[in-house]
Amino acid sequence: DTWRYAFEEAMDEVQGIFAQKFKEEVEANSDHTVQLFPFGTLGESADIMEQAQSGILQFVDQSPGFTGALIPEAQVFFVPYLLPQDEEQLATFFEESEAINEMFPPLYEEQGLKLLTMFPEGEVMMTTQEPVTSPEDLNEVKFRVMTNPLLVESYQAFGATPTPLPWGEVYGGLQTGIIQGQENPAFFIESTKMYEVTEHITRTGHNNFTTAVMANLDFFEGLPEEEQTMIQDAIDVAFDHIIDYQEGLTEESLEKIKEAKPSITITTLSEEERQPFMETADEVEQEFLEIGGDQAEAILEQMKEDLEAVASSSGS
Amino acid sequence: MSIAIFGTMILLLLLGFPMMIPLIAGSLIGFVTLFGGLGQLDTMVQQILAGIRPASLIAVPMFIFAADIMTRGQSAGRLIDLVMAFVGHLKGGLAVSTATACTLFGAVSGSTQATVVAVGGPLRPRMLKAGYKDNFVLALIVNSSDIAFLIPPSIGMIIYGVVSGTSISELFIAGIGPGILILIMFSIYSYIYAQRHNVPVEAKSSWGERGSAMRRALWPLGFPVIIVGGIYGGIFSPTEAAAACVLYALLLEMVVFREMTVSQLYATAKSTGLITAVVFILVGAGAAFSYVISFAQIPQQVLGAIGIDDMGPYAILFTISIAFFVGCMFVDPIVVILIFVPIFAPVVESAGLDPVLVGVIITLQVAIGSATPPFGCDIFTAIAVFKRPYAEVVRGTPPFILMLVTVAVLLIFFPQIALFLRDLAFAE
Amino acid sequence: MSADDDRRAERDPHMMAEVQVPAADDDIDDSRYVSGLPGILGVVDVAIARIEAILLAIGVLLMALNTIANVVGRYVFGNSLYFSEELNQALIILITFAGISYAARHGRHIRMSAIFDAMPPPARKPLMILIAVVTAAAMFLLTWYSIEYVQTQASRGRLLPAMQIPVWWIIVWAPLGFFLTGLQYTLTAIKNVVHENIWLSTSTMEGYDDTREEEV
Ligand code: NA
Ligand code: NA
Repeated sequence: DTWRYAFEEAMDEVQGIFAQKFKEEVEANSDHTVQLFPFGTLGESADIMEQAQSGILQFVDQSPGFTGALIPEAQVFFVPYLLPQDEEQLATFFEESEAINEMFPPLYEEQGLKLLTMFPEGEVMMTTQEPVTSPEDLNEVKFRVMTNPLLVESYQAFGATPTPLPWGEVYGGLQTGIIQGQENPAFFIESTKMYEVTEHITRTGHNNFTTAVMANLDFFEGLPEEEQTMIQDAIDVAFDHIIDYQEGLTEESLEKIKEAKPSITITTLSEEERQPFMETADEVEQEFLEIGGDQAEAILEQMKEDLEAVASSSGS
Repeated sequence: MSIAIFGTMILLLLLGFPMMIPLIAGSLIGFVTLFGGLGQLDTMVQQILAGIRPASLIAVPMFIFAADIMTRGQSAGRLIDLVMAFVGHLKGGLAVSTATACTLFGAVSGSTQATVVAVGGPLRPRMLKAGYKDNFVLALIVNSSDIAFLIPPSIGMIIYGVVSGTSISELFIAGIGPGILILIMFSIYSYIYAQRHNVPVEAKSSWGERGSAMRRALWPLGFPVIIVGGIYGGIFSPTEAAAACVLYALLLEMVVFREMTVSQLYATAKSTGLITAVVFILVGAGAAFSYVISFAQIPQQVLGAIGIDDMGPYAILFTISIAFFVGCMFVDPIVVILIFVPIFAPVVESAGLDPVLVGVIITLQVAIGSATPPFGCDIFTAIAVFKRPYAEVVRGTPPFILMLVTVAVLLIFFPQIALFLRDLAFAE
Repeated sequence: MSADDDRRAERDPHMMAEVQVPAADDDIDDSRYVSGLPGILGVVDVAIARIEAILLAIGVLLMALNTIANVVGRYVFGNSLYFSEELNQALIILITFAGISYAARHGRHIRMSAIFDAMPPPARKPLMILIAVVTAAAMFLLTWYSIEYVQTQASRGRLLPAMQIPVWWIIVWAPLGFFLTGLQYTLTAIKNVVHENIWLSTSTMEGYDDTREEEV
């Protein structure tokens, strides 16, 4: 059969690389073909998600941040300083976390979706016009965020003026100065040329962009068991591939940016400098507990437990 | 399937069906063929809604509204009087001013549809009064508005830059050369047109008259300040600048000039809403149609059949031009860029073509396509706003298309038209 | 030149005869709208027409207000209205779907009429009926599936991220707009069957919009 797989990024961005690997695996191990539909070709994030729910698409990649409208618990990934900043720990966490592997799948199933995997897309960085070393530096800075209550809350807590702006207007907005900042992973800052219109990149370590791959539930459950296994195997291969791929991707992207724009500064905040940012996390956590749905508390607790487990095992 | 779809669409179009029907029928055939029945038509509804939802489209009704208030009141008239005081005595002066105003406004606002309304709305009656034929006026407005695609900020270039990984700043600068070249060509054509049709000129204004025109236009000159200063000054997004213009227009017409009553305001808002609806349902139906094309991977099939992999650089550039030209005749430009660019990217790279040049050529084709029949957003907008028949809106188009195509061909053979400014700006 | 002179020039009757500009006398006068339906249905129809008109006007005004309020919020209060974008989305959907029905009532939908207009009247009338019937059918089909779409949205409970209200609240206008538009085209077909002349809509006879100048 022809299976259709849509995602939120371009073909050569992280979600696209994952999808290409998945396609390669499925086509090598079965008679099925996978058609890939990158960003925008079948609609925006919410549209492709609906199409996966109604079965027009068999597979979809949507970041939990966008899924928040459907599964409020998924917004947990917007709580700052929750995920570990170490890449290896992060990968292990996604593989082993009970919250991700046991608690989220039923929530997705309620929406007619089979959660196949979640994976990190890279450390989220701030790009701004003035250097940032403390929340004070964000004072009065109009900072573009996605329309998500937790992101708005986060940046408010950081002291910035969160400014929602449609994606198509971000580049122009940075250029003319309606907004003075935005956040994204390094590869995205590079590929979307955001660095051309900003002066400083700051690594505050407050988050890691997470995304999820899902299948239409009826489609998936209608498959014979060996095909389900084949899909899950392909996902696992693609997961390992994307973790390998990302090792050094952040540094590589930053180097490319530096090369294209030598005047740009890239600053990693020290633990001390991060402290005042971290102290705002509680506020956002409270907000999450309020709007994060019935299981918000359970999921947050479990994630913290899982994270501790990963941290202690990697520490020993 | 492709032939059935395009055949049906053209037939329905020519028979005089409301324009949304060919688009809806094309999508319907697509959905029924792709999904073996009507079962997935709710996704067609989803796509119609997705088409009208993008936040950046809000600038369109806002500029329509502001322009309508200005035209009914005194603001627009006073601004045009000012222009006429300076160029009224020149052959073709008003036409050249219209083309320039459309280019500038379009460049700043980023919306070609808004330009058709905001600049074309007030200037068209004056041009008709001055003796220009309507089909020339309409074509001039629609085509000059489309130059906006080439001049920054350009949403088409941003999308191309993101999809192809090309520097958006370089694209922006490279678009300026061809944009100005087109404006010059349109201006020369306007001059020749005025000569040949013997469009009368007004008596040359004295400096005293110019001064008084300037004084009368003082308040309305706030509009360019809001739009240009507001957007480039980083105060407004284009959409917000449009809304600020609405507010300012209301202030002028209701408070300063006392030209507009509350009931006229209601009528104006209603008329804006009606024009918006008539255009946006086509944008929505067009989005559903784009979905079908995209889902069925029709472009991939067609291009695969042509065999672009074995072509030389010129052949590739011509193929790209034609593909975008044809694509934009039927489908929304943004979708065309999203679908086509990844297909062409490997070929462009292996042929060693400059992605900035390719981006400019593509943007130009997108501009041409938006003003070219059968389906083009700017044509729809002009029909809805000026309430002129379709045929009349497009009748004056051929000379403009010819000029635009000439520039496209020139670009292929003389890439420096686009690249010299870029090389100047980004020289090491 | 005084301001009054200038205003007279703007309203030069000669010019108005030649040109259709969006001026006051070009507006649709809702109080003169006559429904194509008999009796009580006609009264309801006229009321719906009025509501559509009001929704169009209010929608546009609210959109301007909302957009400006966002700017004011950002600069004056250092706080963007983060729901502003969603509210505009809701309004544009409302305007579009209230408007397509209103446009159908008044024969304002965009069409390419060059060939149609060139045909002799005996051919035009059946073609107009065909157009109206097919368009009505398409609208009713979309009504059905947009109801389905709204239901799906409601059952999934998807919320608008900023406003935190169900998505389906802002899209219910779609089935309503499609249905009322379908109804208008049905009435147009009937009007063409039972009446003389060719009708673009129940209230608009062909040629209302100065076809005089057309040379096509
Ligand atoms: Na532009
Ligand atoms: Na077109």
